[in-house]
Amino acid sequence: MALVEVENMWFHYPRARLGAGVEGWTLQDISVQVQAQSTLGIVGESGSGKSTLIRVMCGLLRHQRGVVRFDGRDIAGLSGRDAVDRRQRNQMVFQNPRRSLDPRMTIRRSLSEPVRALLDRSPDDTEMTGWLERVGLGPDVLPRFPHQLSGGQLQRIGIARSLSVNPTILYADEPVSALDVSVQAQVLNLLMDLREQLGLTLVMVSHDLGVVSRMCAEIVVMRHGAVIESGPTEVVLGAPATDYTRALLHAARAASLEREGAEG
Amino acid sequence: MLELDDLRVHIGGHEIVHIEHLSLEPGSRLGLVGESGSGKTMTAKAVAGLLPDEARVSGSVRFNGRELLAMNDRQMSEVRGRKIGFVFQDPARSLNPMMRVGRQVSEAIRVHSELPRAAVARKVVALLEQVQLPDPPTLMRRYPHQLSGGQQQRVMIAAAIAADPEFLIADEPTTALDVTVQEEILRLLISLSEQRGMGVLFVSHDLGVIRFVCDRVAVIYGGAVVETGRTEDVIAAPRHRYTAALLAANPGMPRDDNFRAFIGQRLHTIPGSVPPVGTFPSGCRFRNRCVAASEACTAMPGVLDAGDGHRYSCWNPVEGL
Repeated sequence: MALVEVENMWFHYPRARLGAGVEGWTLQDISVQVQAQSTLGIVGESGSGKSTLIRVMCGLLRHQRGVVRFDGRDIAGLSGRDAVDRRQRNQMVFQNPRRSLDPRMTIRRSLSEPVRALLDRSPDDTEMTGWLERVGLGPDVLPRFPHQLSGGQLQRIGIARSLSVNPTILYADEPVSALDVSVQAQVLNLLMDLREQLGLTLVMVSHDLGVVSRMCAEIVVMRHGAVIESGPTEVVLGAPATDYTRALLHAARAASLEREGAEG
Repeated sequence: MLELDDLRVHIGGHEIVHIEHLSLEPGSRLGLVGESGSGKTMTAKAVAGLLPDEARVSGSVRFNGRELLAMNDRQMSEVRGRKIGFVFQDPARSLNPMMRVGRQVSEAIRVHSELPRAAVARKVVALLEQVQLPDPPTLMRRYPHQLSGGQQQRVMIAAAIAADPEFLIADEPTTALDVTVQEEILRLLISLSEQRGMGVLFVSHDLGVIRFVCDRVAVIYGGAVVETGRTEDVIAAPRHRYTAALLAANPGMPRDDNFRAFIGQRLHTIPGSVPPVGTFPSGCRFRNRCVAASEACTAMPGVLDAGDGHRYSCWNPVEGL
């Protein structure tokens, strides 16, 4: 059984104008499976629905048609303790940590929030220091505010925050696109290491095919709210079946360096 | 066409830029590459005369033989726009949200010329066509929020070239865009540069993008050029340890579509991070992050020549292949 099963799922934002066909639906008839401890990359252009899809999978948005199951259970039917439990096990890392952390809160407060909200207790500094260590930061950041830290440090805090509630699956929405090449490399390596150490399942949205193909063994290509191609990364990107995927690859190659896998 | 000599920028008592020498031939494209905080954007701003008021600038920036640093604000604003155009990273923030697209471009024309109204309107349409926007007569009546990110960046480029500048400064013009749109915008910049013989100073942290656009590259760290040369030479055989580290950290795309070998491959990282202004070490500024640092690096390295204008300043360079 897959950890996450999405079956014929449709989603529209509130007040979308729905036509008889696919108009108005941000996601149309999506079916995706994520195996436990696997790595799935979702690629496509802006507006293709990739960020919306992981928000539905993560339970941040409620779909209208079809089924989304987590660990075998329909997420729409969960309530009470089961719903909180599912939230705890599904965590998200956002694109822009400067915007996703509250600028008026100290890092101590932001970092402790998921545990306070989901586990109903207040973590102490010793525990939070452990979380920070895991992402390569020291306890000196605890009393600071977001504006006092760099983008790379903030993204590490975003990751530490998501991991604080011991999730099973981590959704990362363009986690490095707001960062410099050198900081990107640090954050990507960190995500790879943590995934292995903690046995996490990783679902990652990125427009950067080079990044996705390093991080993810499976890939889903989205266009106009639908999945147009999916499968092992080496098949989908190595021998694409659609012109659209070929066009994405062509554009990515044009402005990228060629690298040997083994160098990496 | 553009020549920088001993250009120094001081802000708050710290020297944040010191470019000994850098030049750009007419019609050629030079990339400035480095991490955030390396000084690449400050260098571009110094050329453009767009530094904050508290900055003190010395040395020389000559544009077609004229000294830009000696110009007053009025002379400089004449040069900007008419001779030098600009394109910035985030088109949504650079365009005026309250102003129709056509007006933003026509203002850029009118500031620098006395053309009659009808001629300005014709020129706006021609410019929007040149940046390959669809249906210019309709599009010029739209507001920026009604356009996609790629279309907004094309409007920015149309405004930047409205006064037919000889030279364009583009600061990370595609980092906010999708990969397909990025390629289109980069191709547009290249073709405009070639058609008009327009020089380009292109700022980016991504050597992949620089390789696509630029004939030459200058790698900047600690406000100084650490390596420069033809882009292909510098990327194929970097000599400075910072250039090599930047290349190794770049995710890139797998050679020969060998995705199988790529999955799970970690990236090389550059140890530490760019130090805050004023805290770079003496001697080679990169030495506290460098894997090959030695005693020698406490002294400032001289400039070495690897041939064909490929120059670098490093005590322990990467060996040539």
